[in-house]
Amino acid sequence: MFFALGISSCKKNYLGLETNPNNPSTTTPNLTLAAGLNNATNIINTVYSQDGVWMGYWTPSGNFVPISTIQEFQITNTSFSNVFNNLYSNLTNLNNLQTLAIKDPTLANYQAIAMIMKAYDFQQLVDQFNDVPYSQAFQPSTILFPVYDKGIDIYHDLGKQLDAAIALINKSGGAISPGTADIVFGGDMTGWKKFANSIKLRLAIRVSTKFPADPLVTDLASTANEGYLDETTQALTNPGYSNTLANGSSQQSPFYQIYGLNTTNNPTPNNVLFRANDFFINTLNGFNDPRLKAVFYPTLPAGADPADVPTIIKGNVFGDTKTTLTNSNTSAIGPGLLQSPTQDAVLFSGSESLFLQAEAAVDGFITGNAQDLYQRAITASFVALQAGSTVTYTGNGQFSYTPAAPAASAALAVTYYNQNVKNVGWNASTDKKQAIIYQKWISLIGYNNLESHLEYERTGFPVLPNPISIDPASVSDIIPIRQFYPLSEVNTNPDNLAKEGTIDIFKTPIFWARTPTN
Amino acid sequence: MKKKLLLIICFSLIGFLQAFAQNSTISGTVTSKEDGLPIPGATVKVSGTSGGTQTNSAGKFTISAPKGSTLIISFVGTVTQRVVVGDQSTINVAMVASSNSLGEVVITTSLGIRHSEKELGYSTAKVTAKELTESNVTNIANGLTAKVAGLGIYTLDNSVDPNVSIVLRGNRSLEGNNNALIVVDGVPIPGGTLASINPKGAGSAALYGSEASNGAILITTKRGTGDNKPTVIYQNSFQFEKVAFYPKLQTQFGIYGGEAGKYLDPNTGFSKYVPYENQEYGPAYDGSTVQLGAPIGSADGPVQMVKYSPYPTSPIKAFFNTGFTEQNDISFSQGDAKNSFFMSAQNAYRTTVVPDDKNIKNAFSVRGHRTYGIFSADYSVGYTKTNISTYNDITTNGVIGSYVTTAAFNDLYSSILQLPAFLDIKKYQDPDGFYGNPNDFYDAYAINPYWVIKHSRRNEQKDVILSQLKLKLEPTSWFDVSYQISDNFGIFQERDTKQEVDFTSYAISDYFSAGNVASGFPTGKSPGFVSDIYQYGDGSNNPVNGYSRIQGDAVLDFHHTFFKDFKTNLILGNSIRQQNIKTQGTSSSNLLIKDFYNINTIAGAPNAGEFELVARNVAYFGDLSIGYKGWITLDATVRNESDSRLAKAQRNFTYPSAKLAFIPTDAIPALKDNKILNYAKLYASASQVGNIDINPYQIFNIYAVPPGFPYGSLGGLVPNTQNYSPTLKPELTREIEFGTELSFFDSRIGLNATYYKQNVKNQTVPISTSSTTGYTSSLLNIGETESKGFELTLNADILTQAKNKFGLRIGATFSDNDSKVISLLPGVGQLSLGSGQFAVVGQPFPLLKGTDFVRDPQGRVVVSSTTGYPSTAPGLTTFGRTTPQYDMGVNLNLSYKFISLAAIAEYRGGDVIFNGQGGALTFTGASATSASAGRERFIYPNSVLQTSPGVYVPNNSVSVVNGNYGFWQTSAFSSTVAPFVSSGAFWKLREVDLAFNLDKLVAKHKFIKGASFALTGRNLFILTPKSNPYSDPEFSANPATSNLRGVNNTGQTPGTRVFGANLKFTF
Repeated sequence: MFFALGISSCKKNYLGLETNPNNPSTTTPNLTLAAGLNNATNIINTVYSQDGVWMGYWTPSGNFVPISTIQEFQITNTSFSNVFNNLYSNLTNLNNLQTLAIKDPTLANYQAIAMIMKAYDFQQLVDQFNDVPYSQAFQPSTILFPVYDKGIDIYHDLGKQLDAAIALINKSGGAISPGTADIVFGGDMTGWKKFANSIKLRLAIRVSTKFPADPLVTDLASTANEGYLDETTQALTNPGYSNTLANGSSQQSPFYQIYGLNTTNNPTPNNVLFRANDFFINTLNGFNDPRLKAVFYPTLPAGADPADVPTIIKGNVFGDTKTTLTNSNTSAIGPGLLQSPTQDAVLFSGSESLFLQAEAAVDGFITGNAQDLYQRAITASFVALQAGSTVTYTGNGQFSYTPAAPAASAALAVTYYNQNVKNVGWNASTDKKQAIIYQKWISLIGYNNLESHLEYERTGFPVLPNPISIDPASVSDIIPIRQFYPLSEVNTNPDNLAKEGTIDIFKTPIFWARTPTN
Repeated sequence: MKKKLLLIICFSLIGFLQAFAQNSTISGTVTSKEDGLPIPGATVKVSGTSGGTQTNSAGKFTISAPKGSTLIISFVGTVTQRVVVGDQSTINVAMVASSNSLGEVVITTSLGIRHSEKELGYSTAKVTAKELTESNVTNIANGLTAKVAGLGIYTLDNSVDPNVSIVLRGNRSLEGNNNALIVVDGVPIPGGTLASINPKGAGSAALYGSEASNGAILITTKRGTGDNKPTVIYQNSFQFEKVAFYPKLQTQFGIYGGEAGKYLDPNTGFSKYVPYENQEYGPAYDGSTVQLGAPIGSADGPVQMVKYSPYPTSPIKAFFNTGFTEQNDISFSQGDAKNSFFMSAQNAYRTTVVPDDKNIKNAFSVRGHRTYGIFSADYSVGYTKTNISTYNDITTNGVIGSYVTTAAFNDLYSSILQLPAFLDIKKYQDPDGFYGNPNDFYDAYAINPYWVIKHSRRNEQKDVILSQLKLKLEPTSWFDVSYQISDNFGIFQERDTKQEVDFTSYAISDYFSAGNVASGFPTGKSPGFVSDIYQYGDGSNNPVNGYSRIQGDAVLDFHHTFFKDFKTNLILGNSIRQQNIKTQGTSSSNLLIKDFYNINTIAGAPNAGEFELVARNVAYFGDLSIGYKGWITLDATVRNESDSRLAKAQRNFTYPSAKLAFIPTDAIPALKDNKILNYAKLYASASQVGNIDINPYQIFNIYAVPPGFPYGSLGGLVPNTQNYSPTLKPELTREIEFGTELSFFDSRIGLNATYYKQNVKNQTVPISTSSTTGYTSSLLNIGETESKGFELTLNADILTQAKNKFGLRIGATFSDNDSKVISLLPGVGQLSLGSGQFAVVGQPFPLLKGTDFVRDPQGRVVVSSTTGYPSTAPGLTTFGRTTPQYDMGVNLNLSYKFISLAAIAEYRGGDVIFNGQGGALTFTGASATSASAGRERFIYPNSVLQTSPGVYVPNNSVSVVNGNYGFWQTSAFSSTVAPFVSSGAFWKLREVDLAFNLDKLVAKHKFIKGASFALTGRNLFILTPKSNPYSDPEFSANPATSNLRGVNNTGQTPGTRVFGANLKFTF
């Protein structure tokens, strides 16, 4: 046998074992597209828990040792570092798709989607880190140390990329439709144009407070006729979520997977960890907002008999260490957010787009009826959260859930926004933009905690408690206004990073943000 | 090559002398008495003459000598024998190892085979089989510990199947493999199965090329004896093992864990007793009677009342058992000069300090040698079956071994550390019983550690076959040719099971509203789990390095002495090998029937995976050695390899070496027959070796299916996070070495000293890259490391037992290894290696870095003027290297009549460790450190206050706002790395053996030829500096395949000491 081995070595290809039997070394546009869209959705839905706490929605459970990064702001460059790297990882995939598609005119739609999604992810990066590598990114064989581009320059280029993507779709007559691999619009390229236009609107609104004459703002009109996402056309992802595991990984809708119940219907760690925040409850009670019962389950008052029926919505004051309530007496994330393990995941909600349009209309950046857009946005949020649904206690901390019909939720919305309450009723609110941001804050709970935080840094609304965390060990009275660059950048790209100077996460704002007070 | 090869010498010979007619011709065989192996290269000369001969490779000699003369047979490391020539034409001699023996195992750094000891141009060290096994080791690596200078044996944990890393001359590769190659009977086998070898006997060396770039440990197993008489040896040993190194624990304070409201005294803010807590920040023990846990079974059920004072035996100490090992060995051997046969069987049964952990090993082997004229054959087959059953508290296929999914500390040792001092843990020994079951266990957050022991198991079976056949032709006296084939493979099978836990609605209702474990399972069920893994490879579960291998070596050996004085040896060879791993696994946590674990009986789809690696290598090598008069030898080698793991353009590489050995005591007449310095050798070598530190298929980029996919028929692919390149080249290691071996006073004192310097260029490193490049790491050839050091070995035979009745031998080994990163990628000053460790240009590696407190310029901790707490400084502080720089072994042998006492102690130091266990102990409040201030408010020692920017004044006034839970658990103290970093230094009493040679007792017995009895002990004492009250500094959270030591966690149960006895009969 050995001599045989010796002889076979003389064969030409005895040592030619390059082909990897374990993983493919090629991909297809469809496989890359589906994974890229899925991953973008996972990121926005799952990695921004801390923003959910800081924005007053949630508090960390009283059952656990306080989380010093979240509750005391003892944040270093290793905290929350998955944000930066997850986004670049997904951008790598999208960039590959773009490179793959650019060579083949029949893949124009794929190319356009890649450009739109890159803008979507890059905006998240700029909004949290300001300057990031852009022009020199994704060239592993030639540039190991990409320079950091200015946030505003990236913003401007993203605007152009979105214009180009819309133009590409408009002239892509003979191109292939991505079909089912497009897990957001199912190959409907009109939806993609509206999505692109909405991202463009989001970019413009973000810079508009500080730079009302920025080209991104003035250029809004050029593509306004392509339309925006709204209550009927939303960017929702669903590759075929199911309540099962595929090779050990959950196939549940990402928000549900992280904050809901696992496939064996037991609570996930984050479901146990993130409970209602007193600030949110008080604010919504002040607004008579029925969505409170959609976003939180009822709980028992402290000291009640465990056998009683939970009726109240209760949370801790953020940072409380002296009178902290445990999970038996605080509300869990509610059925309006955790509707089903197969629910569509929100990439960009119609409600958010309508709020953006309302603000743009107030400022005259686009034409439109601001009040109408505002009220449609609130209605869209009510419908999305299934406001007015029935939650029935079935014992042992379990509830049954009967969702309200969309029309019923919409009717509640009308009653709601007709109240003569500031920041709820359009006419009752003298500062229209403040009302828009307050209502957008409510509507963004859970599915886009980050956007809520970013809009706070832009506008200062909602007015958060001061100090934000009453934990005596808290090192800051305000929430972080940006993120540290992760330790991985310090280690792997130190020279370029050094040019960004010293970052103070409480004092170094993103280029478009207000300077924080107190 | 390079580093050191630990080998058993197989010498070759050359040199024949013409016989003269007037003398009678004597022939014979020289063997080793210890193992019966023929000794090649032994000198045979006639007393009073200058001539002589050497034995050939079969240990045979022919010499002509007049009747009545005396033959002197000598061989390095053995007692010189004198035989008077009578009428006999055959004289067979069995050589006895001298007390200062050059024994069976020699450490060397050579490429070549067939060199006698005097010709070796590199340092050698040796461990005899007896030394190796005298303390009853079950793992032969443990038997080597502290016995060889420069050989680092790291026992990384204490389990029933421990991880052992074997490193010669320190780390040289930044991220690649640094473990030495293990070679048994000339056949390379992976280190992972070292434990499954029968550690016996002596051996031979061969050429191992790039695989031996980290040195090799060569083991040759025992063959038949040379006197044709059958020998049977039976040996029985047993050992007990007890925990020796508990972390220092507090016994003053009971349970409380940060609860607010009614558990805080409204006036004082002091914590009150919390009956269900897993943290020990409660009030001081006062002897009162308190309720523990919720009422059992229902709210009206019985209530556990316990005394609130420390239980006589701490629950942590009460948990661990006494481990027991019994080993039975039997061997049969028979042989003569031409043929030999050896057969052995071993059974070893081991339990350890963790209840229910078991390791049962059965080994069989057959070996033999046969000579037919010019043809000879040598074969061996060994089969080892190992069954291991352990608790399983780690995450397998995403499923946590314990049934808790929300707690951070849920492994076995952590759950033990969460038991307060007043607990009688034995009450909870039955995890299904009245107090211990998951529904009624008193602790709301931690689980009963006995549950993991009983219901979360890992069962492994390893079947390993090592086989080898060597055929050899010796057609002339100056040429022979051999071909050896070896085939090593094993099957690894693993089944992990975890029992489903069913919670009662009472348990879920969470009596104390504490957020207890059961309330996390409102469905009433924490699912069970089954996982099966099958791996074809070397029998280990290492999916990346655990290769099976089949190898063929052809060797042409030319040897001749020209002009009487020039002994020349040329070896040409070819080696071809194929390595293969195939792993398949399935798992599911969707069992249809509780306690029935089979992948066919599940709901939904199983989790399934497969993985395969194949690598091939073809090498050609040559080795030319020229010696002059036996006192100077020059040796040069060259090796060319082609390896399938590299792309075609880079696949072929060649590397040379040269070595010089000089024996002044033979060369310089003035030094000959010197009474003081009887032997001296000087040697020097320079060598290069190419090394491939990548796995197969790491040259082209790949795509992977991301989690969640496929959704029905919808597939997805994402790029790998590591960037590969077809331009990867082999690593290049250059080593220079020089040293000396000196023997004094008739070899009663031996001194070896070696200096070496190794430089590794083109290190193949998965360097972390900015994720903005598209990949978070890139496999590149970068930079250079340097590792240099010296090694000293001293042996002194102070009193020779034969002359003095008392025997006294002492010995010492010392090594100093200094590593340095010379360069990395341009523009990159440091490289993260993981586990908080780095390679930093200009610094030793791996270097531990971590967070430290904010300090003033004098290094004093700056505390807050309001809370008195320190805070974590941004950035990372360098703490030091994590591999010991100094390693010293000291051994002592005392003998009197038939009693002998041996002891070995070892010191390691110059390194730091991060005690991950420290964090767990602070979390639970079990550590003595956390009670060092009596849980009262205190001023942080040697702290300062910042009065204005840059101005610091000593803090005499601000004590910590909360000296209990607030400081120890929630302040920056527990989340900062610095408080848990300590020196890694230790002294260990490695071995103590008291042996009784009972040969005289049985001397008159017909069948029993020999008997011995020994009492043995290992790791009897350990001394660590005060800064390390936590754990055995040798332990590591990283596996043997990682280069990163110095970081432990609760995955390693505490260190143990072992004592036992050993009984041996020879028939």
